[in-house]
Amino acid sequence: MSSPSIHHSSSPLLASKTPVWRSKLIVALIAVGFASLGVRAAYIQVVNNAFYQKQGEVRFARTLQLPASRGQILDRNDLILASSVVTPSVWAVPDTVEASDDTLKALARLLEIPFTDLKKKLADTDSSFVWLKRQIDQSVAERVTALGIKGIYLRKEYKRKYPEGDAAATVVGSTDTEGKGIEGIELAGEKVLAGVSGRRKVIHDRLGRKVEDVGEPIEPLAGKDLQLSIDSKVQFFAFQKIRDAVIENKAKSGSVVVIDAVTGEVLAAVSYPIHKSNAEGAGTSARRNLAFSDTFEPGSAMKPFAIALALETGRVKPQTVIQTAPGSLVLAGSTIKDAHPHGALTVQEIIQKSSNVGTVKIAMQMPAREMWQVFSSVGFGQKPKLQFPGLATGKLRPYKSWRPIEQATMSYGYGLSASLFQMTRAYTVFATDGRLLPATLSKTEAPAQGERVFSPETALEIRKMLQMAAGPAGTGPKAQTDGFSVGGKSGTAHKQVGKSYADNKYRSWFVGLAPISRPRIVVGVMLDEPSAGRYFGGEVAAPVFSATVAQSLRTMGVHPDLEVKPTITSVAVPESF
Amino acid sequence: MKLVNTLLFVAVMLTALLVVHTQYAARRDFVAIDDAKVALRQIEQDNTRLEVEKRAQATPLRVETLAKERLRMRSTTPAITQYVPAGLVTGVAP
Repeated sequence: MSSPSIHHSSSPLLASKTPVWRSKLIVALIAVGFASLGVRAAYIQVVNNAFYQKQGEVRFARTLQLPASRGQILDRNDLILASSVVTPSVWAVPDTVEASDDTLKALARLLEIPFTDLKKKLADTDSSFVWLKRQIDQSVAERVTALGIKGIYLRKEYKRKYPEGDAAATVVGSTDTEGKGIEGIELAGEKVLAGVSGRRKVIHDRLGRKVEDVGEPIEPLAGKDLQLSIDSKVQFFAFQKIRDAVIENKAKSGSVVVIDAVTGEVLAAVSYPIHKSNAEGAGTSARRNLAFSDTFEPGSAMKPFAIALALETGRVKPQTVIQTAPGSLVLAGSTIKDAHPHGALTVQEIIQKSSNVGTVKIAMQMPAREMWQVFSSVGFGQKPKLQFPGLATGKLRPYKSWRPIEQATMSYGYGLSASLFQMTRAYTVFATDGRLLPATLSKTEAPAQGERVFSPETALEIRKMLQMAAGPAGTGPKAQTDGFSVGGKSGTAHKQVGKSYADNKYRSWFVGLAPISRPRIVVGVMLDEPSAGRYFGGEVAAPVFSATVAQSLRTMGVHPDLEVKPTITSVAVPESF
Repeated sequence: MKLVNTLLFVAVMLTALLVVHTQYAARRDFVAIDDAKVALRQIEQDNTRLEVEKRAQATPLRVETLAKERLRMRSTTPAITQYVPAGLVTGVAP
């Protein structure tokens, strides 16, 4: 019996008997092959799908970081004080850079970096990424691209620009190269200004083009704009005047603060000298705003507070006569002197002439606790509630530790310290009806309320005295301003060097209000160590006050309250036919 | 039966080609939209940059310098200012 076979040809020559089991085996093997493929496909597509999906994405998907733009800082009139613009930065993959030395020298010249430094950066072949120069101008970037150096690339970054430059630098502050606030409002408003970066996952094709989004992209959240109370024009004029005064008087530094006497808004806060906002490597101290951060003994600019307290408590009247002769007073073994002997003075004249002896005689009638309460309630020894970094608290010791001589010296501004900002804000009690205005660096329209410190009558009396002090017979006649009535108090304090006061080093102040009939602004000016011969506050600080007041009120559109002799002339022009 | 199978095969092939074409068209549109978004961002960035540059050209320092040096102007003072009551300003032609 022969086994079953298949005949493949009818030709007997070609006829060969193939066993059936062989064909069945082949069919079975093919079936097993297909089944394996099916199982493998199911394993890839169903069981281990996530792994292969991930592997595919690694090869074709890319996650892009979407940087968020930082909010702008605007002045009260919507003018830009700080804004982020996109600028190119140059980077390299060192081991892929191919260029001759001449080309690299040209690149170094364009980037304004030493050729040796460039070579050193490109010699670091272990690194796959190195910055050559960050945040360059667009025109420079185009010229870098034109060099066509292999391995050198451009990347876009945000760079902070400050159109106002030096004038607003000490208020606006600055950011580091990563765009994070490090000074001023840039630091104080970091949470508001900084945006939240987004993320986007995309599929690239072979040519590197984005062809598909993977999942929902997370859009970047741009930072919010910050609108300040600062008026860039007032800020600029104040900066210009204090800069000129510092240079003219050979002072170490100077500061000006302008506060709106209705809303409590800070319209300007400048200090000079400073370093440029964009300058890299400038020290923190070089950029800080001295008006906020540095405290000094205010000298005679403190006197109105002691006098106001005496008026408020009924201990004296404006016309009460105080004997200041012979121009000196011995208290607890220490001698208190006036710059010139004045004889008998009314309380008004004590402020007008800035008599230390008269002020001390009035101050010593009052308990230390009451004086401390008034000084505290106008903000001395208290950290200002202002959104700004580095605010100084100043020094005001508890009244229980005051010795009589300290109570006496504090009444005319020695033995306590305050920043120019604190001093200027404290004067808002005289600019209003006796209320201390809460100062703010944010734009606000509503008039500030503030806490009452003195009665309206006392505030009015002090305003009259301040006007006298800035008048022809006062200590600050140079504060007078064409068209506007002004009032203010000068201060000239010896600087403390070590444990004693230096004979020839002074700080000169002038703090005042304008127009005195209905104050709109409070202006404080301070010069540190004027060394060009003149040093009295009424001599060196009052002119800065005057110029700042004139420009500020003009900018604010305030109508003059004094008679001004018009110099506008009209010339009759023959009519033409 | 053979005809039905042929029709189904043709239908499957056509659908497959349509899927490929649709995916291609979608990617082409995606690239176009993405390019447009990049262009929009670029325009916005240029706008911001130009605004900052314009602002830098109009700072009080530059305005004052140009006004004084080129136009020979001087700062106003109350003595050379004609103050017009607010009520009289209405109705004045621009």
